[in-house]
Amino acid sequence: MTTPTDPAPRARIIDRGYRTYTGPRTAVRGAFTTVWRQSVQRALGLRRSAWAKILPLAAVGISYVPAIVFVGLVALLPDVDAAEIELPSYGDYFPFIQAAIVLFIAFVGPEVLCTDRRTGMLGIYLASPLTRDSYLLAKAAATAAVLALVTIGPPLLMLVANVLQGVGPDGPAGVAGTLARVVGAGAVMAVLFTAVSMGVSSLTDRKAFATAALLLMLVVSSLFLSVLIEATSLPEGLQALSLVTGPFNLVQLIHGERPAIPEITLAGAAAGAAAWTLLGAAVCRVRYQLLQVTR
Amino acid sequence: MSAAAPAPPTPVVATAGVVKWWGSTLALAGAEVVVGTGVTGLLGANGSGKTTLFGLLLGLHRPDEGTIRVLGLDPTEAGPEVRARVGYSPEHHSLPPDVKAVDFVRHVGELHGLPRREATGRASDVLWQVGLGEERIRPLGTMSTGQRQRVKLAQAIVHDPVLVLLDEPTEGLDPVQRDDMLALIRRVGHDFGIHVILSSHVLDEVERVADGAVILHAGQVVSSGSLSELQASSTGGVVLEVAGDPEPFYAAIRSHGVPLYVDGDRIFVEGGEDAFDLVRDELARLDLPVRRLEPRRRSLEEVFLSAGLTGGQARAGATS
Repeated sequence: MTTPTDPAPRARIIDRGYRTYTGPRTAVRGAFTTVWRQSVQRALGLRRSAWAKILPLAAVGISYVPAIVFVGLVALLPDVDAAEIELPSYGDYFPFIQAAIVLFIAFVGPEVLCTDRRTGMLGIYLASPLTRDSYLLAKAAATAAVLALVTIGPPLLMLVANVLQGVGPDGPAGVAGTLARVVGAGAVMAVLFTAVSMGVSSLTDRKAFATAALLLMLVVSSLFLSVLIEATSLPEGLQALSLVTGPFNLVQLIHGERPAIPEITLAGAAAGAAAWTLLGAAVCRVRYQLLQVTR
Repeated sequence: MSAAAPAPPTPVVATAGVVKWWGSTLALAGAEVVVGTGVTGLLGANGSGKTTLFGLLLGLHRPDEGTIRVLGLDPTEAGPEVRARVGYSPEHHSLPPDVKAVDFVRHVGELHGLPRREATGRASDVLWQVGLGEERIRPLGTMSTGQRQRVKLAQAIVHDPVLVLLDEPTEGLDPVQRDDMLALIRRVGHDFGIHVILSSHVLDEVERVADGAVILHAGQVVSSGSLSELQASSTGGVVLEVAGDPEPFYAAIRSHGVPLYVDGDRIFVEGGEDAFDLVRDELARLDLPVRRLEPRRRSLEEVFLSAGLTGGQARAGATS
């Protein structure tokens, strides 16, 4: 215990100076991981202002609301009443949240990709051990992970609701099979929309332009295709090329359900999804290969 | 047995015959650059190819012709390995406005391979080193241009690189901030032991901070070497100050047809090696007391202008 006669303890400022670093380095793996993590945080508004959190959290929240309601009803109502509730199928769930998904897609890609070019971060990223391709791969992985929140998460909750209600798949093998289809269908949608949103976002530095372009592309192209098919009597199966109808029908087909447009086949829907995925990825890659980072 | 002569130090950067086109624009027209240790200034007017050269050194672009070695590696083949050992501060001031300085610097440290915990510690340390200790938790968008330049320097050195490329690091700074930044760069080069290549179009800055310089003009290297070599050119002449009446000296020098001019007490006699002998002989003959007599050291500006350097852009055909 110090007494008034004791000398005051001496505080010292220790200047550690500049220290060299001789420890291990994580090389490309570390760079990939930190870009992935930072991009996920950015897309979800984490470590950012409250305003930056509103849109992503609202979109994610809305996409979960129906599933949470269904789980709540099944869990809280008496068994007799719960048995009378007709839960939507996994494929039928997505039309409930279609608007939230489209909005989220139009927001995430531009946030993840355009911001780096707009703020000059791209030059700093590419001056690291990352190459253009590994940078884009990290960005795509982050975008897909964030989109998977709305394409895989809600059907997973629905699986919980079905199991609770006792109408879900029977036995561990049945649950595992359904789980695989839920994850697979959600992953296909996440990858498809990642490629499309990155392809469009690679064409402009401005997030608002990219978001508007994506909304137009998703909605208008689907409407245009519907009108074209109706006006020219083209086969309805061509709806597989629609960026809205095609993927949601593909999900129904993956789950073995009857698609909303019966003319769409699994192969046709998969081909449509693959075509859009390849096109978006190709546009994005070519754009970034040609980009002059320093000049 | 006689000891072997020490091998000459490997240059930090060496390029040979580098040509780079951007579409129909020729950015580099056969640049031959050799950069040694310490702080080196890369001088040139806007459009002379400085930033393009940085992009090539980082392996971000491929040269259309020529070879490049950075730290003994070819960046076109070993880009990730080169970039892991190099820090880079871009010219632009735009940085993510809503990210805290310490988060930004840590993120760049991780990008260059530092483990997360190490990157966190070093980010704070290096921000202290560049004078932003108290400001490190501020978002970048709230910082002044001078503070952002310091953040850019911090992110370039956070991972302890062997070489750091600074593209116009004093751009947009007021005179006081510029002095501080130049002092920091000198510290990085001399106290931290990191080789620095500093691009600038301000000759005075390079003169104050660099050990050597490379002068780029129209995509080609017109002059390079240590600063003392560049400044003490053999054609620099002599500068002297005398104590007595200088008029007889003026007349004597002019009688030999050698030009001289006077600036205050200083007398500048133009010419090469012969000028020094002539001045010495005439001073002795006139018995004129001397306060100062030394080879004239040219400023980089004079070196620059003596090469007839105006404009910066390379012209097609300059490679041949």
